[in-house]
Amino acid sequence: MKTLRPQIMAWVIAAVLALLAAPYLLPPYQLRLVTEAVIFSLYAVSYNLLLGYAGLLSFGHAMFFGVGAFTTAVALNQIGGLSIMAAVGLATLATLLVGLVVGLLLLRVKGTPFALLTLAFNALFFAIGVKWHTVTGGDDGLNIALPKLNLGLAVLDPGNGPDIYYLTLIILGGALLFCWRFTRTAMGHSVLLLRENEERMRFLGYNTNITRLILFVFTGALAGLAGSFYTILNSFVSLDAVSIDMTTKVLLMTFLGGTGTFLGPVLGSFFYTYVQDFLSNLTDNWPLIMGVIFIVMVMFAPGGLSGLGQTLAARLARAKTTP
Amino acid sequence: MNDLAVFFLHGLAYAGLLFLVSSGLTLVFGMMNVLNFAHASFYMLGAYFALAIAQYTGSFWLTLVVAPLLLLVLGAVVERFLLRKVHVLGHVHELLLTFGLAYIIQEGVKWIWGNNPQAVSIGGFLASSVNLGGIVYPVYRLFIFALSAVLGLGMALVIYKTRIGIIVRAAVNDSAMVNALGINVPYVFMGVFAVGAALSGLAGATAGPLLGVFPGMAGAILVDAFVVIVVGGMGSLGGAVLASFIIGQLQSFGVLLFPNFSLALIYMLMALVLVLKPEGLFGEKS
Repeated sequence: MKTLRPQIMAWVIAAVLALLAAPYLLPPYQLRLVTEAVIFSLYAVSYNLLLGYAGLLSFGHAMFFGVGAFTTAVALNQIGGLSIMAAVGLATLATLLVGLVVGLLLLRVKGTPFALLTLAFNALFFAIGVKWHTVTGGDDGLNIALPKLNLGLAVLDPGNGPDIYYLTLIILGGALLFCWRFTRTAMGHSVLLLRENEERMRFLGYNTNITRLILFVFTGALAGLAGSFYTILNSFVSLDAVSIDMTTKVLLMTFLGGTGTFLGPVLGSFFYTYVQDFLSNLTDNWPLIMGVIFIVMVMFAPGGLSGLGQTLAARLARAKTTP
Repeated sequence: MNDLAVFFLHGLAYAGLLFLVSSGLTLVFGMMNVLNFAHASFYMLGAYFALAIAQYTGSFWLTLVVAPLLLLVLGAVVERFLLRKVHVLGHVHELLLTFGLAYIIQEGVKWIWGNNPQAVSIGGFLASSVNLGGIVYPVYRLFIFALSAVLGLGMALVIYKTRIGIIVRAAVNDSAMVNALGINVPYVFMGVFAVGAALSGLAGATAGPLLGVFPGMAGAILVDAFVVIVVGGMGSLGGAVLASFIIGQLQSFGVLLFPNFSLALIYMLMALVLVLKPEGLFGEKS
């Protein structure tokens, strides 16, 4: 991955400043949308590390999101006096373990069979959620009472818009930075190699199975972290969090934003969140419109929005140099 | 003892449906390496088309002819105008396209017919029961199994005894070589895709009266069909027959033995196959 160009860096800094100032600028409803978009950004970026970076197409990312979301709710409900951050930690750990077990089984196959099996396992996790209603609440979902978070200097109330917004921004923003760093480590580079030429990678002495498993577990844990915050933001969790629809959502976000760049999925999740908000005010059939947008993008703009942007920028640059 | 026989017959009926859905899926995958996530949506569309036709004309038999024909056309259109366009972009895009298509069909069905399950009524002889040596059993389930068995045999005849069948088998094995020999493989592929869609649609039309017609029916059978082609081996028709039978029986006896964990049996079988023979029972090592 090449280093960021100065213009992009300036945009990123401007975006970060805007994000920090958001609670002072936006009405509560809008702030909530931004919080949700930040949560989905981590979810989508973790997914893109699989799809865009390693070329692993998974249709089961919601099982991690869901495990994170449900572990948070169950832990907060069942363990008295547990702090939110401990619940988030537990949720991430639980997702890590799930990723390890599922990964060991699924990564025995590659390519299309892998895509198929991830979907089957997502369906399994959904079925467990339905059947195990003593713990998951079944179709009713789980309400949770959120304890306040005492940070020593200040007490955060997760029910309060700006508080949960800053908490999400700092923790998930940190996780996003960590992902960005990860793509630039030796491990991150070897993931690209996995996509480009796995056979060659093996010749070079890499154990590709271990690389794949580590990436799978890592991205799963990140999705679990996102799911955990999703529960906290809503102070509620339902089977929706572990459904195939949640997998479809991350797929749409990632692909709409573009799989070719690190920030594409972030763009995609903001785009998706706002378009969904806009469309759902107009019609109940917004998923249909979203699906049509997706198909059109797959067929005519395989690089997503960021791909379109790059093409446009290249064309503008060419227009400038050739008067 | 009678109970066991009844559950065995239940399993056979479901195995028949599964085979109709998964045979097209596995052949299409074998030929073009495309896994069609929308295949089960064709099944669901078949059921809804049949529902509409039955409501409009009142004839159940007509639905068994017209619904598959509609799906045949739809399958051809999807292959020719959508799937073929993204073929150059690679497998990931093909999978994404069929996944997006499944999503659209799902939402479209909810939009047109709503979320509530609907029942299709079958009249006359099919709705009655017969006495099979002490077991009174509904004719309709036997009909489903017989229909799929006849179609399965017909498919086997076409695939193993005719020229078209030779071309299809050769294309499953090595489509580039068949293309080089002067056979229009994209055309053959479109045909197989369309026939697969029609079979899936027929399965849906026959499943409607048995299982009800609802927007979740595609997702329900998709996972089972996936397990069938993983267990049977991707691209293998014989594997699809055997795996459909096994999974039909597991479904049926699973409900009898462990009512709450019947699904787990199927996943355990899949996990076992993945660990012991990742390419499937009849699959070839890649």
